[in-house]
Amino acid sequence: MSEDKKEKATTNSKSLNRRDFLQGLAGVPVLGAMGIALAHKKSLEKVLTSSKKKVVSGDLSEINVALLGAGAQGQVLLNACLKIPGLRFKAVCDIWEDYNLKRVSRILMKYGQEVNSYQDYHEMLANETDLDAVIIATPDFWHAEHTVACLEAGLDVYCEKEMANTLAGAKSMVDAANRTGKLLQIGHQRRSNPRYIHAYEKLVKEAGILGRMTSVNGQWNRSVQPDLGWPKKYAIPDATLKKYGFKSMEQFCNWRWFKGLGGGPIVDLGSHQIDIYNWFLEAVPTSVLASGGTDYYVKETHEWYDTVLAIYEYETKNGVVRAYYQTLTTNSSEGYFENFLGDQGTLHISESRNRGSVYREPTAPQWDEWVNKGYLTAPEKPKQIAAGAVLDVRETIAPDRHDIPLAFTDPYHQPHLENFFNSIRGTETLNCPAEIGYETAVSVLKVNEAVESGRRMSFAKNEFHV
Amino acid sequence: MNSDKNHTLPFIALTVLRVLIGWHFLYEGLAKMMKGNWSSAGFLIESKWLFAPIFQWMANTPKVLAMVDFMNIWGLTAIGLALILGVFTRLASVAGMGLILLYYVCNPPFVGLHYSLPMEGNYLIVNKNLVEMAALFVTAVIPTGQFAGLDRIIHKLLKK
Repeated sequence: MSEDKKEKATTNSKSLNRRDFLQGLAGVPVLGAMGIALAHKKSLEKVLTSSKKKVVSGDLSEINVALLGAGAQGQVLLNACLKIPGLRFKAVCDIWEDYNLKRVSRILMKYGQEVNSYQDYHEMLANETDLDAVIIATPDFWHAEHTVACLEAGLDVYCEKEMANTLAGAKSMVDAANRTGKLLQIGHQRRSNPRYIHAYEKLVKEAGILGRMTSVNGQWNRSVQPDLGWPKKYAIPDATLKKYGFKSMEQFCNWRWFKGLGGGPIVDLGSHQIDIYNWFLEAVPTSVLASGGTDYYVKETHEWYDTVLAIYEYETKNGVVRAYYQTLTTNSSEGYFENFLGDQGTLHISESRNRGSVYREPTAPQWDEWVNKGYLTAPEKPKQIAAGAVLDVRETIAPDRHDIPLAFTDPYHQPHLENFFNSIRGTETLNCPAEIGYETAVSVLKVNEAVESGRRMSFAKNEFHV
Repeated sequence: MNSDKNHTLPFIALTVLRVLIGWHFLYEGLAKMMKGNWSSAGFLIESKWLFAPIFQWMANTPKVLAMVDFMNIWGLTAIGLALILGVFTRLASVAGMGLILLYYVCNPPFVGLHYSLPMEGNYLIVNKNLVEMAALFVTAVIPTGQFAGLDRIIHKLLKK
């Protein structure tokens, strides 16, 4: 292009005119268009974060907290608490003074929280007069006594699941919460997990994306693990162990496997997930049959079953749903998850971070509406069948996969604890109050009974009410 | 007059090309910025071919990586803005070519190189990066900013 021609094409005269301005600013509307597109995108993303409740700023009145039970689980809860603003730890109680108690006190000290240490919870309740709340992470068989005592001392309580190892114990906890008017949150922490809340509120309830739910399956499989040991020089004196209901240090460290102390893997692991069955199905089971046993480990040190397979029946408002659950402690295949199956789709969800998808049945209508609303990611087509392979006419084509577009990177227990503390402040209500914890306890403890009796066990409707 | 008319349509077409490339750059920059924790480390670590050691060194050296990330985000954003608005068009085009050249040589689609991250298409030596780079070559040598863009105003003011 000659200079002359170029001159003509680009600028027509020497001085700035109206046309120069219009053409000069031609790119500006494009920026505006991008701004509009971005704003629309942001508003879609907002829908997703609305499932995650935020602490109401301006109401961060400090809550005085005690930790009762400073073992492995107590430490998990403590670590999550240390990320929550507005808490002041005042006391820690554990019978393993030389180990748990010292370790946790030291951690709190590092965070500038000086605490008093106690071996006996009576002493703690008597001395610590300015406590507001207590977090209980003791072995299951202590939950009822500890929770009732703390509620009666006027404290709000966050108690780890399983709520109790006996129904009588669980009942006394619900009664105490009602009697005292204090808050009792049970530690089924998925109830506050934003991904689970999104799956239930948006996908199951609002979108009815699964259609008629017919079946559920879920599992928690773990690899073989050796019994937990302890540093010999820190062993608890025998007299102290006896006083608190343990026969030996070995039993103290591995209490989850012993009858009368814990409930075994079906209670430790299964109760988290069977709680989700009840929640998403909006029902409690009508019966359960189960098979299980200590097939692999030494029976003397593993009184509870290392392998349990259970089948529940539910009568939901849309009809019967059959639900399978298994827990293995000898093989970790596929880890842990819950699958909800309906005639229009499958919801696959897990507390484990990378799992949360919905599969649309090929016969179901498209889910564009929910993708456009930002509830799901766009569908991913299944991998094509290798060339040459012929699709059998009896085979259904593989479903599209949509993911739950919601990232959750906080410690698993943090939102549930936040929900508890915000409920104390009056800005939220408990996601897992005692009554719900009780329903789950009834549902889960029955599995062990079913294994023991070898019979199918029915639930009476009033069994779930205290 | 005739030659003027003959040149309008090609200039409109080239301006559209420039603005679309600008949009692509600007949004790549903004998206990375809004993500908050975006890092080029994953892309750099994957590097294959001659310059792989350099790119991998960048990914593994936190201070260098932070600089690379910063320059990427702001480079993409600034080039994108300039191309859309048609300001310093030539400089922006050349800078954009340089940036894309880096992406290209970091993970070139050459025969015999395999990547663990799947690509969204099928490429043999030529990929979309190379095509975009060639398109920027066009916007660098033809002054579309002086046809439609702030360069037109700047050009006039300087001439006065």
